[in-house]
Amino acid sequence: MSMATASTPATAPASAPGAVAGKGPRSRESLFGYLLLLPAVAVIVLLVIVPVALIARESFALSDPLLGGNVGGFTWDNYTKLLDPVYAKTMTYSLAMAALNAVVCLVVGYAVAFYIATRPASRQPVLLMLVIIPFLTDFLVRTFAWITLLGRGGPYVKIANLLGIDASSLVPSQFAVIMSLLYAFLPVAVFPIYASMRAIDPSLREAAADLGAGWWQTHRRVYIPLSASGIGSSVMLTFVPTLGVFVIPVLLGGGKDPLVGNLIVTLFTEFRNEPLGAAMSMVVLVLMLLSVAVVAGALRLLTNRKAA
Amino acid sequence: MDTAMDRVVSWFARLVFVFLYIPIVALVVYSFNASEVSYRFTGLTTHWYGELFHDERLLETLRTSAVVGLLAGLAATAIGFLTSFALVRFRVKGRAFFLGAILIPLIVPEIVLGVSLLSVFSSAGIPNGLLTLVLGHIVITLPLATLVQMGAMAALDPSLSEAATDLGATGWITFRRVLFPLLRPSVLAAFLLSFTTSFSNIVISTFTSGVGTTTLPLRIYSTLKTGLTPEMNALGTLLVLFTLLVILVVGVQQMRRILASTN
Repeated sequence: MSMATASTPATAPASAPGAVAGKGPRSRESLFGYLLLLPAVAVIVLLVIVPVALIARESFALSDPLLGGNVGGFTWDNYTKLLDPVYAKTMTYSLAMAALNAVVCLVVGYAVAFYIATRPASRQPVLLMLVIIPFLTDFLVRTFAWITLLGRGGPYVKIANLLGIDASSLVPSQFAVIMSLLYAFLPVAVFPIYASMRAIDPSLREAAADLGAGWWQTHRRVYIPLSASGIGSSVMLTFVPTLGVFVIPVLLGGGKDPLVGNLIVTLFTEFRNEPLGAAMSMVVLVLMLLSVAVVAGALRLLTNRKAA
Repeated sequence: MDTAMDRVVSWFARLVFVFLYIPIVALVVYSFNASEVSYRFTGLTTHWYGELFHDERLLETLRTSAVVGLLAGLAATAIGFLTSFALVRFRVKGRAFFLGAILIPLIVPEIVLGVSLLSVFSSAGIPNGLLTLVLGHIVITLPLATLVQMGAMAALDPSLSEAATDLGATGWITFRRVLFPLLRPSVLAAFLLSFTTSFSNIVISTFTSGVGTTTLPLRIYSTLKTGLTPEMNALGTLLVLFTLLVILVVGVQQMRRILASTN
């Protein structure tokens, strides 16, 4: 399960089968290496790069006002249309939700990662496994379990009523959406932080304590800077995918407050306005690139500060 | 040396572990609820599981998902194997570039990949169906399959193949008799991971499935839109069991590998 700790292995000296020192075989060898890479390159070029380029092009195309679809041409209209209150509202709401989810996942994920990383080494794999199991469980199953939990007559309502609180079904509600988003993305937030924390020498914690650092200072001066890269990845891995989610707002939010993902699906499948949907997809892609840049920039700032 | 605050964090983390399992436990418990409505618990039954096996349309989507998962999983595992073999065992210029390219689908939001695929297939005149589903699922499973197998290949002891060569084995024999047997657990792990990822995918499938090739998650989603039924809880429980089974197989295999590498 090297999903969380995807580290590139160091290049071992190529000792390919039948390798003989010398120029000839070595160069043939690397040629064979490129040959082996062909299928993957074909998949990436034909099924990722070309399609995304097509969508980028389509986002500037005109759409038939009556029939929808893509009728070619070039216009900026799709992008200006996104500024229309109808779409702009969804955009700002999605960004707010994604940011909120990223922050909640980060705080909870950091605590869990710290807890796992500071347990005895023998117990860490078991605890990590406990985080992995929900992560590998079907996304939809993880989502609709919350309908049972928070819905009419479910455990939440029963417990609230026992405590004398007058509660009714929480589905659909904003709260249910936030809860299931957190549940869906929490494991993803834990992995990278744990991976970077595992490398921190436990004696640093003792040293910080010996030097009189309190709990907060230990984290601010030792743990947070040293796990900064994991924190960055964690924010990235929760913020961007939240924008694309379309199942949760429908099932737990009753479809009242759609996220960008819902809008893209609707534009493509129901309204048949591909150019506008393409423009919206490009916005999501650019936001992804921006958040990568922001996270990378923040990391650079942090490491420079440390060096100074 | 734990401060009070450390204890608070520890307790909070333990609560989060409980939080991670509450929905799964609730799902399992409710799947055995005899009552038609979720808000009354009237006893235990396995009735809903039986209902599942009579739901023809559901079984149809299950078959589609299994076929797509199998094809996409096999393709992604095979391509991932070749890729990781090239990147780990060969001197390839621009390794970082190639690796970066293969990881693109992990970074690009899935919804963008989905609409892009829809656009490219309709431009190419390929109707949505089994082929488009499989191709779409290969895209998202290839990075995972590659990463899993790269890790295993990097961990291989290079002296093993050298020894085989010294003993007179040709390249192909070395690969077949020494390297591949050692890599088999990671190949299986990559396949199972790809299969489960494909099997539970919703976003890509939304844009690449056609009439008559609805996948299981899409069917579940459209059923849930009209309301949660007890059958869905039963189905969810079976899917959780399936996940545990996969983890068990991969876990045991990984343990074996670790044990084998220490000897």
